[in-house]
Amino acid sequence: MNKKRTESLFIVSFISGTIIMLFCIYPLINTLFWTEPGIILDTFKDQRVLKSIYLSMGAATITTLVAFVLGVPFAYVLARKDFRFKSLVESIVDIPIVIPHPVAGICLLTVISPRSWTGQLMEKAGIEVLGTVAAIVLAMTFVSMPFLINAAREAFKWVSPRMENVSRTLGANHTQTFFLITFSLAWRDILSGMILTWARAISEFGAVIILAYHPMIAPTVIYERFTAYGMMYAVPVAVILILLCLIMFIILRLLAATRREGETT
Amino acid sequence: MIEIQDLSLQLGKFKITALNLMINTGEYFVLLGPTGSGKTVLLESIAGLRSIEAGKIFINEKEVTSKKPEERNISICYQDLALFPHMRVKDNIKYGLRFRKDHNDMKYKENFETLVELLRINHILDRYPVFLSGGEKQRVALARALIVAPDILLLDEPLAALHSGMKAAIEAELKKLHETLKITILMVTHDFKEAYYLADRVGIIKDGSIMQIGPINEVFEKPASVFTADFVDMKNLITINELKKKPVFQVLFKHIDEIGAEFIGIRPENIVVSNTYIDDCCCFLGRISYIRNNGIFREIDISSDGALFKAYLTANSCNELQLLEGKEVFFGIDASRVAAIK
Repeated sequence: MNKKRTESLFIVSFISGTIIMLFCIYPLINTLFWTEPGIILDTFKDQRVLKSIYLSMGAATITTLVAFVLGVPFAYVLARKDFRFKSLVESIVDIPIVIPHPVAGICLLTVISPRSWTGQLMEKAGIEVLGTVAAIVLAMTFVSMPFLINAAREAFKWVSPRMENVSRTLGANHTQTFFLITFSLAWRDILSGMILTWARAISEFGAVIILAYHPMIAPTVIYERFTAYGMMYAVPVAVILILLCLIMFIILRLLAATRREGETT
Repeated sequence: MIEIQDLSLQLGKFKITALNLMINTGEYFVLLGPTGSGKTVLLESIAGLRSIEAGKIFINEKEVTSKKPEERNISICYQDLALFPHMRVKDNIKYGLRFRKDHNDMKYKENFETLVELLRINHILDRYPVFLSGGEKQRVALARALIVAPDILLLDEPLAALHSGMKAAIEAELKKLHETLKITILMVTHDFKEAYYLADRVGIIKDGSIMQIGPINEVFEKPASVFTADFVDMKNLITINELKKKPVFQVLFKHIDEIGAEFIGIRPENIVVSNTYIDDCCCFLGRISYIRNNGIFREIDISSDGALFKAYLTANSCNELQLLEGKEVFFGIDASRVAAIK
């Protein structure tokens, strides 16, 4: 009786898994084969498209680095220390995930717009953000940083504080212990978090378009081509973006998945 | 030497208040206590891994209270060993040396070789911890802790995760290490048998307070409180008032009553059971009400004049005496080994 139930459950799981796989892969494959390779190659030569792709990748990379520099120390504190209102702080970290992205863009606009005191302050200091790469990075960081913080926090939690304690008693100071033990053990999971952050950043459109329609990132170019000229012009750019993202994704995943012999569990 | 003066700290609802403890140089001191009694917290405070609210800690007569863990020259070994999984065994062991200015000194090289030989881990030096057995991991953790020649070695339930065969082997190695290196060891455990084998002196800790400190035999034979008696497996705890109603047992507590104790305690292994009357001790007649087979030994419940006594006998003795539930037997107790408990 039990055996039959288990088998039925596996059949249901298999069917649901197949639906999910098709749901994820089929639209991508369909897009790849929507246009002829010649058109894709021609699009590759379009300087405007190439520039937008470089900008997307560059801004996503800067975003990931900013998120890493700001997020990793904060994640370490969240993993190691208990303090009052910690749950509230953790919830605040996750807020950008639940806010619709155009809304996130508008929220950020209220801060950097010349009508706000912060915007006026930046204007006086000669810092221009709206419609610049800085605005793109700002929007991308806002929506993608939670992924890195959460991944790093979980990675640090996985490292036993007792290892750190032993390291300290053996003569290592706090910083040495962090780099030799904690970060050495957590970096692969943090790298996975960086991949997610980068992927989230490069796919961002809603928040970016509010803060910086120009300079155009790749999703903005795709949107513009789609609304102005239709699918035929939008798809080749989408294909190029998909291929580049997949290549980056695979390389980084392989790097993160490479575990040294001793670390297998 | 470790000296703790009036140490106080609070950790949520848990508190240690004005704890004092003195451990002599070269001593193997075991702190016994149940889970949640504050054993690990105390060790971590000594190592500087937890901040304390009040009190002073001295190591070899130098105050270390405000020193960081890396400045105290104290090593700690946890129950889960906390080996660094991304380092090979030899790198785990040598980890502490990289922070010593004199790490190229010959003494450390000699330390490494001595420890590797003493702990018999030569063949696993190139392995990662994940490929080691429980006993091997334990040995590596000990070598890592000892290579830096610490003034004090703190052991946090080092044998708790091992199966009985491995436990005996590591116990023997700990004893050998202590005898060879003459290092001061403070070990915490909840297992009184480990303490009995290893300790020069023991302390009993409960809810952050030390209940009793003394040489191992003294604490085991003469526990000062019901908690200690219970913890060191003193099975026979009988209220004196209850016994007073039975004249036959007065011989057991006649000398004890004078100091106002409430209970008498008799270790179960100190009760002799026989089919014939036993001379040279207080002998009573009783009936076996229950025999519990504990594998290696038998726990015999003997009812006598309304009181219940528990005795431990080997399986062989039990067979030789043909002991069965319901059988009448004589049992003897040496009155001088009866403990007065308040």
